Amino acid sequence: MKLRVIGAALLVAALGVVAATASASSGKQQASKVTVWLQVDAQSGWPDVVAAANQQFQSDHPGVNVDVQYQGWGDHLQKFDATIAGNTTPDVIEMGNTEMTKYMAAGAFANIDSFKSSFANSANWLKGLAASGMYGGHLYGVPYYAGSRVVTYRTDLYKKAGIAKLPNSLAQFIADANKLSAKNAKVKGFSPVYSAGTDWYFAMAFVYDFGGSIAKTHAGKWVGTLDSKQAVAGLTAWKAFWKATSKASPTSDEANPAPYNVYSQGAAASIIGPGWYSCCVGNKFKTNTAQFVMPSHTAGKPMPGFLGGSDLAIPAGSSNKALAADWIKDFTSTSAEKALQAKGNIPNATNLLGTSVNERAAARSWFVPAAKHWVDVENGNILRNMLAEILTGKLTVAQAAQSASSNITSVLNES
Amino acid sequence: MIRARRRRSRTWRRFGSASVPYLLLLPVVIVIGGLLGYPIYSLVRLSFQQYGLFELVQHKGRYIGLHNFGSVLHDTVFWHTLFRTIVFTVANVGLTMVGGTLIALLLVRVSMWARIMLTAGLVLVWSMPQVVAVQIWNWMTNYQNGVFSYVLTELRFGDYFHHDWLGTPFSQLGLVTALVVWGALPFVAITVFAALSQVPKDLIEAAEIDGARGVRVFFDVTVPILKPVLLILTSLSILWDFGVFTQPFLLIGQAHLGPSNYLMGVYLYEEGYLKTDFGRGAAISILMLVIVGVMSLVYLRRMVRMGETS
Amino acid sequence: MSVRVARRALWNAVAVVLFLVMVFPVFWMVSTSFKTDDQIYALKPTWFPLHPTLAHFGNAIHKPFFWADVKNSLIIVGFTVAVAMVLAFLAAVALAKYRFTGRKLFILAILGILMLPAAGLIIPLYVVLARFHQVNVLSGVVITYLTFVLPFCIWTLRGFILGIPKDLEEAAMVDGSTRLGAFVKILLPLVAPGLVATSVFAFITCWNEYIWARTLLNDQSRQTITVWLSYFLGSSRNTDWGALMAASTLTAIPVVFFFLLVQRKIAFGLTSGAVRG
Repeated sequence: MKLRVIGAALLVAALGVVAATASASSGKQQASKVTVWLQVDAQSGWPDVVAAANQQFQSDHPGVNVDVQYQGWGDHLQKFDATIAGNTTPDVIEMGNTEMTKYMAAGAFANIDSFKSSFANSANWLKGLAASGMYGGHLYGVPYYAGSRVVTYRTDLYKKAGIAKLPNSLAQFIADANKLSAKNAKVKGFSPVYSAGTDWYFAMAFVYDFGGSIAKTHAGKWVGTLDSKQAVAGLTAWKAFWKATSKASPTSDEANPAPYNVYSQGAAASIIGPGWYSCCVGNKFKTNTAQFVMPSHTAGKPMPGFLGGSDLAIPAGSSNKALAADWIKDFTSTSAEKALQAKGNIPNATNLLGTSVNERAAARSWFVPAAKHWVDVENGNILRNMLAEILTGKLTVAQAAQSASSNITSVLNES
Repeated sequence: MIRARRRRSRTWRRFGSASVPYLLLLPVVIVIGGLLGYPIYSLVRLSFQQYGLFELVQHKGRYIGLHNFGSVLHDTVFWHTLFRTIVFTVANVGLTMVGGTLIALLLVRVSMWARIMLTAGLVLVWSMPQVVAVQIWNWMTNYQNGVFSYVLTELRFGDYFHHDWLGTPFSQLGLVTALVVWGALPFVAITVFAALSQVPKDLIEAAEIDGARGVRVFFDVTVPILKPVLLILTSLSILWDFGVFTQPFLLIGQAHLGPSNYLMGVYLYEEGYLKTDFGRGAAISILMLVIVGVMSLVYLRRMVRMGETS
Repeated sequence: MSVRVARRALWNAVAVVLFLVMVFPVFWMVSTSFKTDDQIYALKPTWFPLHPTLAHFGNAIHKPFFWADVKNSLIIVGFTVAVAMVLAFLAAVALAKYRFTGRKLFILAILGILMLPAAGLIIPLYVVLARFHQVNVLSGVVITYLTFVLPFCIWTLRGFILGIPKDLEEAAMVDGSTRLGAFVKILLPLVAPGLVATSVFAFITCWNEYIWARTLLNDQSRQTITVWLSYFLGSSRNTDWGALMAASTLTAIPVVFFFLLVQRKIAFGLTSGAVRG
């Protein structure tokens, strides 16, 4: 009797394993399949562009399947690390342009110098975007698309406040913001220009506008430069602007709450962010929404916008590099880039640029230091903490900048 | 007053040959050992190596002895985080166990309809994936229009309009505690309730006939029978709350996380995996294992010995 | 007599208040899934949407791979719970009722696994599974879930078995039989509440598990429902809160259903009395 029970248990377990492995399909990479990791933005934003690229690729390579697997920004790098360890990397991976340097420095990507000429418009790639795909003079990433920062605003509220002409300088903008505050004093927690307290993409623009920078190389080492006179001037200007225009929490970040949600609640007359913010301003204000370029402190010039974007790279462990490069070629073709442009993105080449607000804002842009430990600065919230300390008054601008600068120096120079 | 202590001498009856227990355990050993054997060995080996992104791509680490351990143990952030996590664990486990047991006792005393309603409510809470629960709590406490802030203001507890619930580390961890305890109560309540159902009614009646009152009955009759289950739940809660990751990571959010509010689970992720320093991550994992082991030592001894003597 | 009635009414009232407080976030999730976007983002909360919309549910269900991922979750969880209950029960019997060399070691090993921080194991485990082609397939996830759910199930079941007072066992074993099979047959009804509670926990844990599922499964047609849910949040673009809440509501339904089916068994012991005869 006892044997029966034990035997039954073992049988169940064995059956389980057998049945389970029977449903397993081969995970081995066959030469007839190309695996692509794109972010979900493509899945929801421009699935037609993906489909067109797949179609083009498959007509050029009959018999080769394309498996596009969509990833989320929060965990795609950890998943990528796991595939590197297990030798199951995809053949193409979309990387945020700030994420590239670390992985290029570690040798995670294949050198694609030889494929450069096959990529459309490669001679005219946007400098800022292309730089993020280069390391040690070699090409590892193909620019995919970019986005800058613009001001999305309520045309009706601006009209009511008597703002006839859109501001073309920072000082003018603050004056206009005061008009907006006065006109909307009855709305509790109203922000004439809503921006998050620790939105460093916005705050650093001021630093670069005043001629400062986040960090520079000096004799082979990185040095944090936020404590320079110009950077401090920029941060001071930002603090003044923020205090006059935003009712956000000083510790809030630019994703929580999403500025377009604040806008849709009627709690903001304008918001600062990527051009695609106009998608989600709510039904009530859709027709009264337009965009303009954030002005610099120098009249007539745009404030440098953070050139966010993505690159496409081929992991070093891929066994289908030529096919992967071909897929990338199809996905970044002129027609594909034009389609992305139509969806509100900035295409990857200067000869494709149009005159949308987004693209005009990109005329003057800034980017993060091309250091392999830059992601550690971001993940360590060094800039965010500095901004929160400035806004809450815990530290003066100079003190906060000083401490952040030395932090950045030590993190960027870690071995 | 009856002390309802049952002689719990071991029923070391031999059901069949001496090989029976081993055979009963064999399937489990195969499954767990088969899958975890190499990863555990690999984890230990990694902790003695320099293994970052570069080494990951090369599939080869560099042996550096105890350097990873040294670097972690010399990091003040590690010690602050450890202390903070211990305090957090004590608070969470305490609230969960006391609250859960009280709810279980309540379930025994209410009418059938109330029991079903409350149990269904507990299961509803329990069935929420952590990822979803965090999003809802995030939503309820958001700066712009969080309903939690709205209700507090309406109930005249103060003006919570535009209250930043993530403003200070204490507030952040308090919120995480509320979320963790809220999510953990159902499991404890339902398990203790199931255990209570095993308490024979006649024992309780006998004790009451002898004149014992409610609380006395509880402590003299019920608790001894519940003890194994309570010990298990407490030890499990300690394990889970000490290493908790999903709730603090998602609720506080990457933008607000830092040494001022790290808990061990988050610290491990940030220092080991976000920074792609896998050797360090392995060292921290092992340290966490040792610490939790030490913390559970008291319970461990009791539970291993459980049932051997009365 | 009336004191007892009053006391019971008091406890019932407490239960109602407790229910409302505990369930509020769930209520908020469900009601949000019926609200229009304007109501969701408005500064003043809408408690009961008077003009409920089913648009979010529609969006959620029509999001790609919903039904496929539901099926995957059911397969994975069903398999894991069934196998885990059998194996764990046998192991728990061994640990609770037998004295043998290595008993303490085995218990320590079980506890050790529970104490391992999962984050540390993700990559080594992925490497092992990849070597056997168990990555991106359901069986790999089942094996992983079994490994992590078994220690807990064994541990809890051991507690339930130990918690059975000796004379219940003795009284139930009429002829003092020493056969394992008969013993198990008698033991099962006594531990039934414990078995049910443990299986519910195993079900819920596996159903809601996210970290391993998202690491091991890349093909969206093979993912589980929790990974499917995370796609609502993965984008750097707009989060559709209404659809997310509707999707979350949908994923909670099977668990609630499963539990309501078996919840009677848990209360079984209370009403059935103890010693027969």
